Amino acid sequence: MSLSDATLTPPAARGPTPAQWAGGAILLLVLGFAWGAPLLVPADPLRQDLMRGLAGPDAAAPLGYDHLGRSLMARLAAALRLSLSIAGVAVLLAGVLGTGLGVLAAWRGGWVDRALVLLADSVLALPGLLMVLIIGVIISNTPLAFAIGLTLVLWIEFFRLTRATAARLLAAPGVQASRLLGFGPGYVFRRHLWPDLAPMLLTVAAFGAATAIMLIAALGFVSVGIRAPRPELGQMMVELLPYYREAPMALFLPVIAIFLTILALNLLAQGRRP
Amino acid sequence: MIWRALGYRAAQAGVVAFLVGVLTFLMMQALPGDMAFRIAAGRYGYDMVTADAAAAVRAELGLDRPAWAAFMVWLGDLGRLDLGVSVISGRPVWDEIRHQMGASLHLAGAALLLSALIGPPLGILAGLRAGGWLDRGLLVLSSGLRAVPQFLMGLILIVLVSIQLSWLPAAGHGRAEHIILPALTLALGLAAVSARMARDAMAGVAARPFYAFGRWKGLSEGQMLRRHGLRNIGVAMVTFLSLQFVMLVEGVVVVESIFGWPGIGHALVHAIFGRDVPMVQGTALLLGLGFVALNALTDLLTRLIDPREIRA
Amino acid sequence: MRPFLTLTLATLFASPALATEGVLDVVAPFEIKGADPSTSGNIMIKMELAETLVNADPDGRLTSGLATEWQVADDGLSWLFRLRPGVTFHDGTPLTAQAVADALAHARAKPGLLDTAPITAIAPEGEDLRITLSQPFAPLPAFLSEYRALIYAPAAYDAQGNATQVIGTGPYRLTRMQEPLRLEAERFDGYWGQPARIAQVTYQAVGRAETRALLAESGDADYVFNLDPASVARLSGVAGVEVLSVPVPRSLLVKVNAGHPALSDPQARRALSLAIDRQGLAQAILRYPTGADQLFPPSVADWHVEGLEPLAHDPEAARAILADLGWQPGPDGILTRDGERFALTLTTYPDRPELPLSAAVIQQMLAQIGVEVTIDSTNSSEIPVRHADGTLDLALLARNFALVPDPIGTILTDYAPGGDWGAMGWQNDAFTALIRDLAAGQGGQDQRDQAMAMLQADLPVIPVAWYQQTAAVSTGVSGAVIDPFERTIGLSQMDWVQP
Repeated sequence: MSLSDATLTPPAARGPTPAQWAGGAILLLVLGFAWGAPLLVPADPLRQDLMRGLAGPDAAAPLGYDHLGRSLMARLAAALRLSLSIAGVAVLLAGVLGTGLGVLAAWRGGWVDRALVLLADSVLALPGLLMVLIIGVIISNTPLAFAIGLTLVLWIEFFRLTRATAARLLAAPGVQASRLLGFGPGYVFRRHLWPDLAPMLLTVAAFGAATAIMLIAALGFVSVGIRAPRPELGQMMVELLPYYREAPMALFLPVIAIFLTILALNLLAQGRRP
Repeated sequence: MIWRALGYRAAQAGVVAFLVGVLTFLMMQALPGDMAFRIAAGRYGYDMVTADAAAAVRAELGLDRPAWAAFMVWLGDLGRLDLGVSVISGRPVWDEIRHQMGASLHLAGAALLLSALIGPPLGILAGLRAGGWLDRGLLVLSSGLRAVPQFLMGLILIVLVSIQLSWLPAAGHGRAEHIILPALTLALGLAAVSARMARDAMAGVAARPFYAFGRWKGLSEGQMLRRHGLRNIGVAMVTFLSLQFVMLVEGVVVVESIFGWPGIGHALVHAIFGRDVPMVQGTALLLGLGFVALNALTDLLTRLIDPREIRA
Repeated sequence: MRPFLTLTLATLFASPALATEGVLDVVAPFEIKGADPSTSGNIMIKMELAETLVNADPDGRLTSGLATEWQVADDGLSWLFRLRPGVTFHDGTPLTAQAVADALAHARAKPGLLDTAPITAIAPEGEDLRITLSQPFAPLPAFLSEYRALIYAPAAYDAQGNATQVIGTGPYRLTRMQEPLRLEAERFDGYWGQPARIAQVTYQAVGRAETRALLAESGDADYVFNLDPASVARLSGVAGVEVLSVPVPRSLLVKVNAGHPALSDPQARRALSLAIDRQGLAQAILRYPTGADQLFPPSVADWHVEGLEPLAHDPEAARAILADLGWQPGPDGILTRDGERFALTLTTYPDRPELPLSAAVIQQMLAQIGVEVTIDSTNSSEIPVRHADGTLDLALLARNFALVPDPIGTILTDYAPGGDWGAMGWQNDAFTALIRDLAAGQGGQDQRDQAMAMLQADLPVIPVAWYQQTAAVSTGVSGAVIDPFERTIGLSQMDWVQP
C-alpha cells in the first residue's frame, strides 16, 4: 500500500492516457453519487425504521435498507463522502508538506537535505497503520485524527519524489541562470519546477488517496476505525456481513463502492507508459 | 561505500527508536481516560472492571508516576535491551513479541513465497511479448486485484473456498493448512503488483539492443532469459521485494484479525486498545528496526547482484 | 533464506488429511491473557482444566465440586468445607486443605468478587477447610464456584501469588498454551471422577463474531461459543450444525445517573423507559421475540417476579409525564426546561457488537419524545470512570448477574446502594436493608419480590432486554451443553457420534 509500484517515468507525451480518462470518469461517477445522492433522494443516513430491516428498494431508499432499516443509499453516500473527504484532506496536507520539504531539501542541500532524508526514511520504517492507530489514540477517533495520521504516512512519497526531481531540475542551466539573475525561490518553483512536478504529483496524490481509502476501510473492518453509527465503508461491510445469505445486495453495495473508488484512483495514477 | 551505507542505516535505526519513543510518550500523555481503568478492562474484562480493580492495578504498576519519568525509564531499559513487561498479561514484552513475531513472519514468508510463485513468472512471460494477449489480460486482472482491499479478499476467499467448497479451514491457527487462506489473501495482492513490476522491467530489457543481439546470435528464449534478462531485472526485483515487506506488515494486521492468526498485527491492535504502552513500544520498535535491517540487507544484495550499481 | 523457504514449503503443502481426527475444537471469543484464574479462569473452567470447590447446575443450584459438603455454624460466621479425598493435581501432588487455602488466598488478593466477601480467614482444619467471616454471608459457597476461585496446585503460583502455569485437577490437562489465542489439552488419566471421553481438545480464541460463525458454518470448529444474532438465524439453516440457545442472567440495561438534575425524579426515568420499544429493539438487533419487562428473565426463577407490572412502551404517556415535569418542546423539537435542554450523553462500549447498535436505536427512540442523546461508544472502563467522577448521564451496558450462580452477589455490589455497573446517585435504604438481610441469609421469596418491585418502581437502571447465550455445535458430537452460568460447555462428557 505504498507507492512502491508506481512507475514514475516522466510522461513522454503530455496529456492523459486512456487509463487516466477511464479513471477520471469513474471517479467523477463516484463523486457524483457521494455528493449528488442526498440531493436526489434526501434521507438521513442514521434514521432507522426497524420494521424495514433489510427490505428491498423503494422510492425513499432506491438501494434498499440495511439491517436497522436505514437507507443504504444515504449511508453509502455518507460513507463515501467521509472517506473521500478524509483522503482528500490528507493528500492535500501531505502534498503541501512533502513538496515543501522536498524542495527545501533540494534547494539547501547539505545537512538540511541529509537530515530530512533520514527523517523520511525513518518514518517510512514505521508501518502506516501503526501511525494512524497511535494518532487515533492521541486525538481520539475523529475524522481529523485519521486525516492527520494519514498525512504523516503520505507526505514521504511526495517528499522523495519532489526532492529527486527538484535536485535534477535545479542543476539545469536554465535554473542556474534564473538564480544568478536573482529570481526568488517562488519564481523558480513556478517557472522551472512546477511544470515537471505537477503530473508526477498527480500520480502520487492518486495513489495516496487510494492508500488512505483502503486504510480507513481496513480499520473500520477490524472495528478500530470510525465509530458507529457514523457510516463508514469498512464498518458497513462488517455490519452487513452476517446477512450475506439474506441480503447479498446490501453487502455488495459497499464492496462495489470501494472497488470502484480504488480502481478509479489507480487508473488515474497510471501515467503514460513508454 | 558499503560502510557508509551501513552507517546511514544505523543512524536510521536510532531515529526510528527515537520516533517510537516520542510517539508512545505522546500517546501516554494524551490517553483519553484513566490508564488504570483501561488496563483493568483489558485484564479482567468488561464485567469486572470496577474502581477497586483499577485502584489495585494503579498500585501494582506504579501508574502515579508522571509520564516523562516513565519515558526516561523506558529509554534506560532500552539501553539494556529490556523492553519491559506487558501491563495486561504481566509477561515480558520480549517473550510476547517473540511468539507473535514468529507467527507473523511465518505468515508473511508463506505469502511472499506464494506471491513470488504467482506474480513475477506471469509478469516476465507478459513482458517478453509486450502487447500480447497475456500482457493485456494480466493488466486487467492486476488492476482489478489491486482495487480489492485485503480484508475483502480474505472474506471472498473464506466464503468461496471454506464455506462453498469446504476445501480449507476458514480461520484458526495450529494446523498446517490454516496458513493457506491468509497467505493466499496477502499473496494475491502482492502478486498483482509484482507481476506488473516484472512485466515492465522485462519489457524494458527485452527492448534493449543487447537482447536483440542475443537473439540474433541464435540463443534460445530460455538461454536469453537466464543470461541477460534475469540479471538485469534482478536489482529492480530485490528492491521491490523489500518494499513489499511494508505492504505485508500493513496487510498482516488486517488479515490476522479476520483469520484469527496470533501475530504481531493482532497484538498491536490489542495493545493499543488495552493501553498496553510497553507492548506498543516493543512492537513498534521491532517492526521499525526490522524494516531498517531489511533496507540494509537490500543494500547489500543489490551490490551483490549488480556491482555497477552505486547508489546516490 | 533457503532453509526457511523449504520449511515454509513443507508446512504449506503438508497433507491436511485427517489432521483433526479425534481432536475436538472449541472456539470462543475470550483471549487467553495468562495462566492466572483472575484473568483467564473463564477459559480454564470451560476447558475443564481446573475445578472449583463448589459447582452449580443449570438451575443455579450448588452441587459438590472439590468440596463434597459444607456447613455453616449457627452464628453464620464460620463455614466448614469437607474436601474430596483422593484428588490429585496434574503435577501429581495431592489436593490438600493447605493447597486449597493458599489458592483461595491468592484469588482473594486480586480484584474480583471474592475480595468483596467479608472473609477474615481461610485456614486448613485437619482435612477440611475453615472459612471465617466478619458477618454472616449466605452466598459464600456460590462465590467459591466462581472461576476466579479455581484451585491450582501450589507449584502453579510464583512468589507474588500470580499463577504462571495451569496445574489444576480437571479431567483435562494442559499440554500447550500459546497466548493469546490457543491452547491444547489432553485427557488426564488420574482424574478423580468420570474420565473425559474425547482424548484431545483445543481451544481457539476468535474475537470476531463473523469469523466464529464462519468457522461453525464451514465445520472447522466443533463447539463455537457466543454467536452474533444475525449468524444464529443463518446457522440454524445450515446442515451439520446445531444451534444451542439458553436464556442467561445477563441483561441489557440503561444505567441512569439518578443524581442528574433531569433524571433525579423517578417519573423522568419512567418516561425514558416508556419511550423504549423493547420488542422492536430485541427483534431487530438481538433477534429475540421479546424484550425485558423487568430486570431478571423468567429463567432466574428466584428473582423474576410473576405479576410485576411490566415495563411498557408508550411514547405518548412518556411525553405527557415530561410535560408534567415542566419540559416544553423547543424549536428543534428537543425539550427544554428553564433554558436547559434535555440533552444527555449515552456511554457504551463496542466490545459487545450489539451495544453500539442498540445505542443507536435507543437514541432514535428517545429523540421521539424530545430527548437528545449523544452516543459515546468508548472503552468499557469509561463507565466506572464516569461513575466515579459523576459525569455519567446514561450508559448502555450488558450486565452479567451470574458472575456467581447466586445473583445476590451482583445485586449487592451494584444496587446496595450503588456500584460501578449498577445504580448511580440512587439510594433506597429500605432496598439496601432488604438486600443486606438476604445476603446474610435472612428472608426469602417475599423479600426478593419486594426488592425487585422497588427497583421496578424507582428504575435506577432501565432494563431493555434479556440475553440469550448461543453456541453452534457440530452434529458430529454429542453431549454438548450450554450453561446459563457460562461455567461449562460439557466438554468432558462430549463424544463423537458414531456414523
